[in-house]
Amino acid sequence: MSPLLELRNITKRFGGLTAVNELSYHVEEGESLGLIGPNGAGKTTTFNLIMDEFQLTSGQIIYRGTNIEKLPTHKRVQEGIVRTYQVPRPFHEMPVSDNIRIGMMPENIGKMIAEAPDPDAEMAIARSVGFGEREFAMYPGELSMGDLRRLELARTIAAGPKLLLLDEVFAGLTVAEIGQITELLLEKRKDGLTYIIVSHDLRSLAPLVDRVVAMSFGALLSEGSFDEVLADEKVQEAYLGT
Amino acid sequence: MTHIIIQGLLLSGLYALIAVGFTMIFSVGRVLNLAYGVYIMLGGYIYFQCVQVWHLPKAVGFVMAVAAGVAFAVATYQLLVRRLENNPVAVEISTLILAVVMQALIVMIYGAASRTMWPLVNGVWRIEGVAVTYNILIATVASWFILGGLMWFVHKTHLGRAIMAVSMDRKGAMVSGIDPRRISLITWAISGGLGAIAGVFFATYTQLDPSMWVGPLIIAVAVVVIGGIGSIVGSLIVAHLIGFMETITTSLLAAELRGVFTMLLIIIVLIVTPKGLFGREEL
Amino acid sequence: MLSDPGMRKYLVGWALFGVALLLFPQVATSGTLRIFIFANFIAIFAMSWDILSGRTGYISFGHPFLIGIAAYTSAMLTYHLQTPLYFSIPLGVIATMVGGTLFFLPALRIRGTYFALVTLAFMELMYQLTQVMRPDITGGTRGLSGLPTLLTGALPNYYLSSAVMFVIAFCLWLLIRTRLGTALSAISMDEDAVKSSGLDTTKLKLFAFMVSAFVAGVGGTLYVHYLGSIAPRAIFDINFLFTILIAALLGGASTIIGPIMGAFFLTFLLEYLRPYIPGTERYFIYGSIALIVYVLEPKGLHHIIQRLYGALMRGKQA
Ligand SMILES: Nc1ncnc2c1ncn2[C@@H]1O[C@H](COP(=O)(O)OP(=O)(O)OP(=O)(O)O)[C@@H](O)[C@H]1O
Ligand SMILES: [Mg+2]
Repeated sequence: MSPLLELRNITKRFGGLTAVNELSYHVEEGESLGLIGPNGAGKTTTFNLIMDEFQLTSGQIIYRGTNIEKLPTHKRVQEGIVRTYQVPRPFHEMPVSDNIRIGMMPENIGKMIAEAPDPDAEMAIARSVGFGEREFAMYPGELSMGDLRRLELARTIAAGPKLLLLDEVFAGLTVAEIGQITELLLEKRKDGLTYIIVSHDLRSLAPLVDRVVAMSFGALLSEGSFDEVLADEKVQEAYLGT
Repeated sequence: MTHIIIQGLLLSGLYALIAVGFTMIFSVGRVLNLAYGVYIMLGGYIYFQCVQVWHLPKAVGFVMAVAAGVAFAVATYQLLVRRLENNPVAVEISTLILAVVMQALIVMIYGAASRTMWPLVNGVWRIEGVAVTYNILIATVASWFILGGLMWFVHKTHLGRAIMAVSMDRKGAMVSGIDPRRISLITWAISGGLGAIAGVFFATYTQLDPSMWVGPLIIAVAVVVIGGIGSIVGSLIVAHLIGFMETITTSLLAAELRGVFTMLLIIIVLIVTPKGLFGREEL
Repeated sequence: MLSDPGMRKYLVGWALFGVALLLFPQVATSGTLRIFIFANFIAIFAMSWDILSGRTGYISFGHPFLIGIAAYTSAMLTYHLQTPLYFSIPLGVIATMVGGTLFFLPALRIRGTYFALVTLAFMELMYQLTQVMRPDITGGTRGLSGLPTLLTGALPNYYLSSAVMFVIAFCLWLLIRTRLGTALSAISMDEDAVKSSGLDTTKLKLFAFMVSAFVAGVGGTLYVHYLGSIAPRAIFDINFLFTILIAALLGGASTIIGPIMGAFFLTFLLEYLRPYIPGTERYFIYGSIALIVYVLEPKGLHHIIQRLYGALMRGKQA
């Protein structure tokens, strides 16, 4: 069976800087993949390429057996690839409920107008990330970093993902919040959701991932189980070297 | 042919001067100051007031015009722009409103009719059968001197380099101890002064008119949009592109069509190459 | 929908507004009615601006371009071809929607400041073209006059413009209460994040542009057949743009009631100032007021009133 998502030799250049360099890796359906690497390694850029937020310089992106390089961002989301942002990007002038509503929106404008929203379903998603009635009505400006990350998650879950790209889900969170999010992710995994998780917090990453890909300067460094990759000399060097 | 080259060169010099003050603000603050045309208008009217109403010496009129431009630009920055700094759209809207308010003020004081400005210097110079007024010649030569001085200032002086640093990398400049707000303020002051000087020249070249801020503003906008940001040289090139295009249209087609092509150029360049002809990082 | 108490409160508000518009002529002179007619048109234009710019954040500095297409199309059809109004007005609206597509094309690639500039360029271009190209058709600088009017007299025109304004406002209000309204507002906050929530922002923007152009088209055609004349400087003009923009912003962009409030406030300010300070001074005064309000509270009067009301209610409770 072909993997859920496969990157083949993807490259992204910004002028003279090569942020991602002939990178290839894949993730199987139902798998949870950790993506690690020092600052500036190109992890976020990889996500931007998968989502078409940046245009590929070269390479192929294959999702469920078909090439998707030509699909625009929203089509990729509709196909089930959804991402969170490293720096949360909520819609600031809308309450949490409306933020979730955007994620659940139908594709068709006619339906957006004709069909009433479903506040119960929205609330259910809010609850699934640990929000209560109170947070549901709050504005992003009033939320803590932990809650903002939860909101990112809620919005992406609302979009009905098959493959979730998580960029630094744990950054800026307390230990308790990390625990909650870990639990949530583990639970979603049982339902068959596939992940690629970027994190600098390796200890929090460990229980979540089946396999790890390490990159540095835009290229693949090492690939294997969590312990194998961390034991890899090249990986240790890359982390110490920065 | 000679006629087109001479007229084109003269007009382009003036346009370059008009555009450069506007470009500076854009490259340092990444905001479009739609009240820039007001500095041009103020320059013209203040000079007119001093020289043709109060009969003061021309030099005094010039100094007063520049002072008014600087003061008004500083006030715009301190009272409007600083409050709205993180919202470029709000800056744009509020400076546009300000421009219309100032236009109404000018109408209140001077009436809606246009006024004629006396030339800075009388006389005509004939070359190759083309008559060039000393006035426009002086204006162009002065433009070149001012632009040259500006280049020297930006590249060779401490303050000028700080301005360049902020325009290239605001955060980086901040880290190295430059206060970007102070630099912005200085840039606005310089821009106001340049606008006022350009205004005196422009008014002697055309006329004083309460809506005279619109045309130069559009030229300035065109230069930024077409040329891309930051580069004084880029501005010069585009100023010449527009200056020559207008001269050619005026002498070969019809004078009324001159603005049409500038407008079309803006639209086409923005749609076809959103980054401008000479590149621009972000939109 | 009616069972929702919040909704019922709003509907009562709309009904009261409708009744007030209906009864107003009982207490007003025909002079005041004429002011109201003008306010209604400005309100329509401001709402048209708002659905595009207030909602999606794509600031249009060229709205007179759209209004002008509508007005000129219908004016030229009736003037040269004696097309009946019931035919020329829909054609004018359709032409405006085609013009709206022209507006839309740059919005596919450019955002923010640059978009505003292109629309401004569209307006200036149109101003110059109407004067230069075929003045025998467009009427050149002088424009066209003696155009057929829809109705005569202040009262019928008042009712017509009020009815159109009311219907447009109510429909737009219903529209922005749907999820579409939420999606359009989200575009103004972070367009890329809307895309990565799986929405086709191109389609959403096109829809908003078409609605905006439609409203501008209806307003523009009715306006020209109320005035009975048209000239380039009256339409493709910074002052006209300024009036629309300020009406929308002063009242509060991205609300329906805001642009209406702004339009009425402006028009009446203008009229009540007339005896004291005639002429352009009025522009100076209302421009200054608008500028101060805008700099203090970019969300406009609507927001200020809401906050005052909120403070008042909290005061009562305490
Ligand atoms: N839009 C851009 N324009 C130019 N360079 C960019 C852009 N985005 C990223 N880069 C550069 O690409 C490189 C990779 O950046 P990226 O954000 O992908 O790293 P990362 O692995 O996510 O790092 P971090 O752990 O700090 O989030 C960096 O050198 C960065 O400066
Ligand atoms: Mg990153």
